[in-house]
Amino acid sequence: MSTLNFTIQTAEPLSQFTPRLGRLSLHRHEGPPAQDILTPALITTTSRGIVPHLSRDNVVATSPIAWTQVHFETFLEQTPPVLALHKGSHPLHTFLGYEPEKHILALSLRDPHDGQEMPPNTKEYVTCRCVRGVRRVSPASWRSLVLACKPDVVTALADTPFTPLPHSQKRITKSLERSTAWLADLLKPSQETVPTEHPAVLVQMAGGNEVRARKAFAEGLVERLYGKDQELVSPLQTLDEGIAGYVFDLVPLQLSLAPVAAARVEETVSSSAHERLLKASLAPLPITKPRIVHSARSPHTLLRLIQDIGIDLFDAHFAQRAADIGIALDFTFPAPYSTQTEEQHLALLPRKRENRTDLGHNLFAATYAHDHSCLAACFAGAASFPSISQLSSEFPVCLCGACSPRSYPSWIQHSALDTLPTDVGTFQKPFTRSYIHHLLHTHEMSSHTLLAMHNLTVMEAFLAGVRGVLSKVDGAKLFTEEVTRFHEVYDEHMVVFEEAKVEWASVERARGKGRLQREKPGNTTPLADSTAMSARVSEKGAL
Amino acid sequence: MEFEVVAKCPVTNARVSKMKLAHGVTVLPTFMPVATQAAIKGLTPQQVESLGINLILNNTYHLNLRPGIEVLREAGGAHKFQGWNHNLLTDSGGFQLVSLNKFTQITEEGALFESPFDGKPTMLTPEESISIQHAIGADIIMQLDDVVSSLTTGPRVEEAMWRTIRWLDRCIETHEKSGKVDTQNLFAIVQGGLDPKLRDQCVDEMINRKHRVAGYAIGGLSGGEEKDTFWRVIKQCADKLPFDRPRYSMGVGFAEDLLVCVALGVDMADCVFPTRTARFGVALTFKGPLNLRLSKHQAEMQPIDDTCPCPTCSSGTTRAALHHLVTLETVGAHAVTQHNLVFQARLMGRARDAIMNGTFPEYLKTFFADYFGDKGYPEWCVNALRSVGVDLLDGKDNTAVVTGSGAVWDRSE
Ligand SMILES: [Zn+2]
Ligand SMILES: [Zn+2]
Repeated sequence: MSTLNFTIQTAEPLSQFTPRLGRLSLHRHEGPPAQDILTPALITTTSRGIVPHLSRDNVVATSPIAWTQVHFETFLEQTPPVLALHKGSHPLHTFLGYEPEKHILALSLRDPHDGQEMPPNTKEYVTCRCVRGVRRVSPASWRSLVLACKPDVVTALADTPFTPLPHSQKRITKSLERSTAWLADLLKPSQETVPTEHPAVLVQMAGGNEVRARKAFAEGLVERLYGKDQELVSPLQTLDEGIAGYVFDLVPLQLSLAPVAAARVEETVSSSAHERLLKASLAPLPITKPRIVHSARSPHTLLRLIQDIGIDLFDAHFAQRAADIGIALDFTFPAPYSTQTEEQHLALLPRKRENRTDLGHNLFAATYAHDHSCLAACFAGAASFPSISQLSSEFPVCLCGACSPRSYPSWIQHSALDTLPTDVGTFQKPFTRSYIHHLLHTHEMSSHTLLAMHNLTVMEAFLAGVRGVLSKVDGAKLFTEEVTRFHEVYDEHMVVFEEAKVEWASVERARGKGRLQREKPGNTTPLADSTAMSARVSEKGAL
Repeated sequence: MEFEVVAKCPVTNARVSKMKLAHGVTVLPTFMPVATQAAIKGLTPQQVESLGINLILNNTYHLNLRPGIEVLREAGGAHKFQGWNHNLLTDSGGFQLVSLNKFTQITEEGALFESPFDGKPTMLTPEESISIQHAIGADIIMQLDDVVSSLTTGPRVEEAMWRTIRWLDRCIETHEKSGKVDTQNLFAIVQGGLDPKLRDQCVDEMINRKHRVAGYAIGGLSGGEEKDTFWRVIKQCADKLPFDRPRYSMGVGFAEDLLVCVALGVDMADCVFPTRTARFGVALTFKGPLNLRLSKHQAEMQPIDDTCPCPTCSSGTTRAALHHLVTLETVGAHAVTQHNLVFQARLMGRARDAIMNGTFPEYLKTFFADYFGDKGYPEWCVNALRSVGVDLLDGKDNTAVVTGSGAVWDRSE
């Protein structure tokens, strides 16, 4: 049994909904413990089990990647799912290339960011999606899949409807009953005589947009169980005793609040509604367990959720998505003080709109073609400092693979005569905005690799900044001030994201056309030989 | 450039040499991965160098369009722009002008083409090509040549050959006047189509200019000609080219082609094939290519090659995991690209060791036995290697010989 210990480290007297500092420690039944995580902390999101754009060596080199969220549904295209075939003590880590010492793998069935309409769930199964269409997963098969792939943490199946709104009272009641029953099913002690790795269990807080339903679900978790209900999960007295943390997926919540234009809703309106619903769920529950939010839209949202509710873990979805569309994030918490002049920055700050600074740079924009500075004005690269011990005392440093690229400590030698360079392991000059601008416009994958490493690192620095302020004497008060200032300095509407999406889409389209042109068969270029060959191979592969 | 042949195969024409350029020593023979747009598909320069690669290729035509020479000048050249601290080679841009632009016209002055930006007629002269390559700043630069398809016949082939020589002279003039001869090295490109007489004349003319060129490329091949013709042209040129200059065979990347070229005396080759095929999910191995998209790999819990030192294989990435990712996630392409580049580098690294140890003929025999196994040896490879004293079929009475290109592909379900 993996146990996820969470200790709250905030010195001040704690109430239900105040910002807090914590430490997550994972102890595994088999194998090494994972490195502790300080909260508020970041969750790295994945696609098909991997961190988008990052090869295994880059995942390991990107230090903010610690708690990583894998969703199972993409593996259901194959029967049996390949994830469940791997053997060993950490099959999920091994198969997907994560390191048990470094990475805590959390498994959920569904991608928390997917809000597409789905066929209804039933008493017997949850519907989910893979590239070959809709699949059904029963609580029993979820349990056996989870026990086979041995994640560190798992989210119990929840009956979250993705059917057209509105949902009737009866539907919501069913959702609570099923979610509770499915949680109990996962908490059942293992029948096997040999003790096996059983992940720590998280629960998705059910109840949709109804305060009363959310409250009822939460109260059910802490209710003392009797009779058969208790026997099922014995020795647990309540379901909550078996729960390691509480999960809130904002996408279905947002859909239920504003079904028509979920993405367009004014942040401030929805945030107070979110707040009310999250508080309704948490009020009956002990304050000592980690609280997890998926798909928060912006750093502003993160700050409010930390400040007003005391959320501990957030996924980096928005920052990783920014890397997909060509945005280099450039912000800090606390926001830079106005006493810092432009010259103190190494590069131009992001654009200002109505006195608020963008959260990052849309590197598709033509202005970056000749901008040979490093990605972020708020961060230097490590190569600007004579030694690693002198880092960060003068200016924040981004240790990502784009701002502080570092040659590998060892290289592959292919013949006895190959001479290896002597400067292995040293920091190189940062990659520039102009280079990534170029890579974006030429549709080179490396652009997203560099941006993904950078954006994750900026997000981790942001949360480190949050922890830094909260750990000060009078931290909560200082934090409130800094949150206000952050809102004053940085643009929350994220217009730069919309602009980048438009340019990204147009480059994608242009590429589509160009590719047809380029890869038309029958042109007699040296490339044509291999192109045609590869095309043949892939046609065969598609059979 | 300092170029030194350090070993020669006692049987074939293969040799090992050290080529010292402004960004370090590259040991030859080697394969050069292609970073068309100043990036190896999906990888960072740090990843590429960690694979044991220290010479890559950029395409002049593409970099001239994007980011453009002005940006490269501002950035201090292509090395700095892409963060690559090792050796770099650029082509002249002429080949892409002809292959990617339908309306390119060749005149004595240069190549006249429609600008992809504004459609205006634009001229790429030999002088212009060299000055663009100066701005890019590669360690090895190529002359502008008059490229004709290897399938072209008739007087156009001869015309192109003579024009290529005249353009070489113009490139040499421009290069020598630039003051860059110490840091950038100009290579000539032998043309002449598939006609042995023209090839001979071209090589002779270019040897006359030997003291003004750093190396020689064999151009005008890999364009769909018969493999049997291909190797004969390579051999003819390699036999005549000066021993103390590197020889570069353009557009060659299949494993068997590379080893045959090495045996014929070629030192360098480039091709987009290993990186492009990786994006389609094909992993190269010493037992032949694997198409990871095939469903037979979907539950295979073994790496592509468990003896391979690449980051993909050495971290234990299974074929099943790659099957799950290739063509759907860029990470799948990255992983197979890393492996394929290491495969190419191992293939050539083993060749260097074998030549040094005097065991290159055995290496060739082992490679063909493993790679083609019972699928049959390509006849052209057998013929080409016989011409340099290695009989692949010696003691292999039961091995079939197949005609045609003979590339092996993992296509059975
Ligand atoms: Zn960075
Ligand atoms: Zn490998």
